[in-house]
Amino acid sequence: MSVPLTLLGLLDREPSHGYDLKREYDSYFGRGKPLPFGQVYSTLGRLARDGKVLPGEVEPGAGPERKRYAITEVGRDEVETWLSQPIEPEPHLQTELFAKVVLSLMLGRSAELYLDVQRSAHLQRMRELTELKRNGAVVDALLADHSLFHLEADLRWIDLTAARLGVLAEVVRS
Amino acid sequence: MIRLGLRLSLNGGREAFARLVVTALGVALGVCLLLASLAAMNGVNAQDARAAWLNTQPGSQPTTNASRPISPLWWLASKDEFEGQVINRIDVAATGPRSPVPPGLSRVPSAGGYYVSPALGKLLRETPAAELGNRFPGHEVGTIGTAGVPNPGALIVVVGHTAGQLSKFPGVGEVTSFATSGFGSRQFLIVLFVGALALLFPVLVFLATATRLAAARREQRFAAMRLVGATPRQVSVIAGVETTVAAIAGVISGFVLFVILQPALQHVSITGVPFAPGDLSLSAFDVLLVALGVPVAAALSSRVALRRVVASPLGVSRRVTSPAPRPTRLVPLIAGLVWLAVFVLFGKSDSNVVIYVYFVGFLLLMGGLVLAGPWLVDVGARAITRRTNRVDVLLAGRRLSDDPRTAFRSISGLVLGLFLASLASGIVTTIIADKGAPAGGRVAVDTLVAVFGKPNSRSVEAQFSIPALPSWLTGELASIKGVRGVTVVYWDPRAPFGPALVPCAELARTPALGRCAPGASVGRIDLRSSQANGLTQRSTLADQTWPAVGIPLQRLAGYPVEEVVVGTDGSPAAIEGARTKLEVAIPAHDYFQWPMTMGEILPSTAQSLAEAKNVTDVIIVASLIIAGCSLAVGVVAGVSDRKRPFSLLRLTGVPVAMLRRIVALEAALPLLVAAVASAGFGLLGAELFLRAQLSVSLRWLGGLYTFVVLAGVVVSLGLIALTLPIVERITGPEVARNE
Amino acid sequence: MTADHLPQAASGDGCILEAREAALSFGETPALRGASVSVARGEILAVMGPSGSGKSTLLHCLAGILVPDSGEIWFAGRRIDTLQEQERSALRRDRFGFVFQFGQLVPELSAEENVALPLLLGGMRRTQAIAEARSWFERLGLDGMEHHRSGEMSGGQAQRVALARGLVARPEVLFADEPTGSLDSLTGELVMELLTAAARQQGTTVVLVTHEPRVAAYADREVIVRDGTVTALDRAAR
Repeated sequence: MSVPLTLLGLLDREPSHGYDLKREYDSYFGRGKPLPFGQVYSTLGRLARDGKVLPGEVEPGAGPERKRYAITEVGRDEVETWLSQPIEPEPHLQTELFAKVVLSLMLGRSAELYLDVQRSAHLQRMRELTELKRNGAVVDALLADHSLFHLEADLRWIDLTAARLGVLAEVVRS
Repeated sequence: MIRLGLRLSLNGGREAFARLVVTALGVALGVCLLLASLAAMNGVNAQDARAAWLNTQPGSQPTTNASRPISPLWWLASKDEFEGQVINRIDVAATGPRSPVPPGLSRVPSAGGYYVSPALGKLLRETPAAELGNRFPGHEVGTIGTAGVPNPGALIVVVGHTAGQLSKFPGVGEVTSFATSGFGSRQFLIVLFVGALALLFPVLVFLATATRLAAARREQRFAAMRLVGATPRQVSVIAGVETTVAAIAGVISGFVLFVILQPALQHVSITGVPFAPGDLSLSAFDVLLVALGVPVAAALSSRVALRRVVASPLGVSRRVTSPAPRPTRLVPLIAGLVWLAVFVLFGKSDSNVVIYVYFVGFLLLMGGLVLAGPWLVDVGARAITRRTNRVDVLLAGRRLSDDPRTAFRSISGLVLGLFLASLASGIVTTIIADKGAPAGGRVAVDTLVAVFGKPNSRSVEAQFSIPALPSWLTGELASIKGVRGVTVVYWDPRAPFGPALVPCAELARTPALGRCAPGASVGRIDLRSSQANGLTQRSTLADQTWPAVGIPLQRLAGYPVEEVVVGTDGSPAAIEGARTKLEVAIPAHDYFQWPMTMGEILPSTAQSLAEAKNVTDVIIVASLIIAGCSLAVGVVAGVSDRKRPFSLLRLTGVPVAMLRRIVALEAALPLLVAAVASAGFGLLGAELFLRAQLSVSLRWLGGLYTFVVLAGVVVSLGLIALTLPIVERITGPEVARNE
Repeated sequence: MTADHLPQAASGDGCILEAREAALSFGETPALRGASVSVARGEILAVMGPSGSGKSTLLHCLAGILVPDSGEIWFAGRRIDTLQEQERSALRRDRFGFVFQFGQLVPELSAEENVALPLLLGGMRRTQAIAEARSWFERLGLDGMEHHRSGEMSGGQAQRVALARGLVARPEVLFADEPTGSLDSLTGELVMELLTAAARQQGTTVVLVTHEPRVAAYADREVIVRDGTVTALDRAAR
C-alpha cells in the first residue's frame, strides 16, 4: 500500500493541511492503523522535494506546520498514471504454508492435522470478517470481502493439498 | 443413426422405456379397434350380400338377351312375425326349366313344397303346427344353404306354387336374377364408420398423453444433440426410430389382440343379428393398410411433434402460464342448444332433410362441449379454491386452473363418448318406451290386429276392406286357448275414408282399442288418424271412448270388414295360434297389414335407431375405458413433471397421503365435471329433439344406461387410483440429493 | 493430538440435536460411517465437506428424513430414529423448517401461498396464514412479489421466498441444504445475511450444509464431513 501515492491522490481532490490529510487517510485507508504524523510530514516533504506538491504560505495560528499543500502538474500526472495501471497480480506462493506442510511430511508428523487446524483458523478469521461486514460501513465491507476471497482461495489450496498428501509424501520422502 | 436411435429408445432410461411401452400399448389399442372396425364392416357387407336376394325387386331387372332366354320366376316377398322375430317369406313359381334358382336352394320348389332356413326348420320342429307350420302350404322339402342365409338366426321360407296360381296374386312380379347388394345397410355402414372414428379419437388422445411422459427430458436430449452438432435430419431420424419402434411393437400387439378378441367380437350383434363365423374377416388389403399405414403415420406424427426442437437447438423454453380460457368458448354449446330449441318452437317436420338439420344441432353441442370443456374445468377449479383451507384442494385446484386444457384433453374422449351415448340412449329409449308400452299397457301388446285392403284397387271399398270373413273364423279364433276376445271392425259405406263401425259388446273384450260410450250398441271408431301418426300408432287408443252411432247391430253384420282384432292373454300359443289361423283363413293378398300385435309394429326409424344404439353402447364402454387409461397416464406424467417440488414437500413433512390426494383430485375433478356435463347435455339434446320431433318428453333412461355410465366412471376412477402408488415411488428422497 | 473426539457444542447442556455414530448405506455404497455431531440450541452450525462426503445424508438423518442403519439421533431429549415415518413426518412438519438449493416452491402457487403452506398444513385458516406470510415479504426485501409465481422470479428472490417458507411456522430447527448453491456470490450473501439474521431473531437453531467457506462463515461453528465421518477440529489448537 503506497502511502505517498495515496496522499498525492487525496491532494488531487483539493489542497489541504497535513493534519486534514492524515485525518482523511485514517478514515478511509487507516484500518485501525492510523498514520503517524511524522510519516505524513516526512512523506509530504519528499513529495515537495520531487516537485509533485507545492507547499503554500504558512498561515498564521497555533500549531507548527500549518502549511497548506497543493498538487502540481507533475503530481497530477503521476496520480493519473498510477490509477490507470494494474497492480502486480502477486502470485501468492504461500511459502510459509507450503513449508510447514513439506516439513511435517519430512518429519513424519501429521500434515493432515496441521491442514485441518489451519482451515479452522482460516474459517474463524472468515467469521470475524463476515461479522465485520454485517456491522460495518460499505467501505469496510468491501475490504472484508477482499480478504474473504483471499482466505477462500487459501482454503481451496488447503483442500487440494490435503487430497494430494499421499503423492507429496512419496516425493518428499524419497 | 438408426442404430443409435434404437439404442436410445430401448436403453434410454426407465422413463423413456415406460413411454415406449405406453405408446406401444396405445398403438395396439388403436390397431385392434381399426381391425375390428374393418372386420365388422366386412361382416356387415357379407351379411348384406347374403341378405340382398331377399330384397329383389321384381320388374326392375334388365331384359335378358335373346340368345339365352331365361324363364322368369314369379316372385312375391312378404314379412311375417313369430314371437317378435321376423320371418322373410318368398312365394315363388318357376315358369320354365331355366328359371333362376334362389341362392341356397338346389331347385325352385314346386307347389306343395317349401324350403326353410336352418333356424326356421328348428323352430318348426319345436312349435305346434297350429302356431306356425300351418301358415305354409305343403311340407318342408329342403333347407336353404349358407349362401342364402344372411345370419345364423335368420328365419326364411321359400314357398313353391304353380305359375298359374301365383301369377294371379296381386303384387307378384317376375324376376330374372337376384339382387346382390342391399341398400338398407348403407346408413348402417356410415354409423359404423362414425363409430370407429369416435373410438379412434380417445385412442389418439391417449397417445398424445403418452408422449407427454418425460417429454421435457426427451426434448432436452434432442436439443443437446443438436447443440453438439447433430443435423436436424439426424435428430428427426432418431426421433422417428423411437416412434417407429413403438409403433411396430404396437401394431404386432394389436394384431395379436385382435386375433384373441375375434371370437368374442362375433357375438357382438351390431346389426341386431349375430355374424356368421367367417364373416368377420380381413382382406389382404385391410391387413396391409393397417400394418404399413400405422407405423408410417406414427413416424410422420413424431416428426411433426418434434419440429420445434429439430428446428432450434436451444430446445424448449420455460413454459409460460397460458392465458385462461375465455367464456366465449361457451358460444357453440349455447348455439347448439338454441338451434335445437328453435325446432321445438317450430314443431315437427316430416322431411328427410330435417335429420341433417338435427345433426347440425348435435354437432354443435358435441363440438361445443369439447370447446367449452377447459373453461368448465377452469371455472370449477377456481370455485373450489376460492374459499378452501385445505392444502390438497388448493394445490389440485390451482394446477387445474393453471392448465385446464391439458387436464381436459385426457377426458375429451370420454366427454364425446358419454355425450353420444346419452343422446342416443335418451332418444331411443323414449321412442321404444313410448311405442312399446302404449297407454293400454300390456293389453295392447297382447292384442293382435289384422287390417284388410288393397291400396291399388279401383273401388274404394276394396281399398279398405274385404267383403266378409269366413263364417267359421271368429268362432275358431275365440276357441283358441288364451284368446280373450275377437272384435270385427266394419267399414262404413257412408264414410268411406272416415271412421269405422264396431259392435260395442265385442269391443269390451278387446280394451286395447278403447271402449264405447256407455249404453251404446254400435260405436264409431276412428283408427286412421292414429295410423297417420307414425310412431305412436295406436298407443293412445285404449284411452278413447267412442261415440255411439245409430245403426242397428244386425245390419252391421252385412258390412264389409275392415279389421279383425284379437285380444289374448299374451301367451305365445294364443298369439301365434291366432295369427296362424288368420293367415291360413284369408289369402295373403287381401291383407293390408298382416296380423301383428301392437308391440310388434316397429317403425323403421326406431329399428335402425335401436341398431345404432348397440353401436353406441359399445362406444361408451370402450371410450370410458380408454379415457380412464388416458387419465392414468396423465396422472403419471403430471407427477413426473413435479417430481422435485413434491419430493421436497415430502421431506418437509407433507404426508404422502396428501400428495396422493392432490393427484387424485386433479384427475377426478375434471372427470366428474366432464361426466356430468356431457351426460347432461346429451340428455338435454335428446329432450329437445324428442319435444320438437315427437312432442314427447324424455323418459327415465332406466337401469342399463345408468349402470353403464356409473360403471364407466367407477372404472375410470379405479384406473386413476391404480396409479397412485406411483406417486410414492416417484417422490422418494433420492430425488432431493443435489449430487 | 487425536483425531476422533466428539466435536462439542459451545455449551454441552443446551444441546438440541445430536447424532451419535450414525451409519447409513445406500445399497452397497456407504454414505455415513459413524458420524457424530451435536448442535446447541440457537446456534448456527455449518456442515462442510466436499461433494459426496455425506453431508447431505447427515442432514437428512438429523432431520428425521432418513433413518440410519445404526447409531442414534436425538432431538430435544428424545430419540427420533426409532420413530415411525408418520411420526417423523409430523415432527418435520411441526417443529422443523427446510430450505433447499432449488426447486422447492410449488409452481402453481403464488409466492405468498408458498410461504403460507406450512401454516396451512398446520391447520391455520387461509386468510390468517396469508396475512402472516405477507409480513415476511417486506422483511426479506420482496415487496410486491406476493402474487408472483416461482417461474416469474429470479433465483435470489425464489430462495428468499423459500427462506420465508422455512421460517414462517417458527420452527425450532431450520435445515438448509446448500441454500445458495444456485446463486451468484452477491445474491448468495444476501440470502445468508437474511437467513442468519432472521434465525437469530427467532432463536431458531440452524443446520447449514455447504461446501463454500464464505457461506459457512455466516455460521457460529463448522464441522467437516469427510468420507462419511465428522472430523474433529480442536479449536483450542491454534
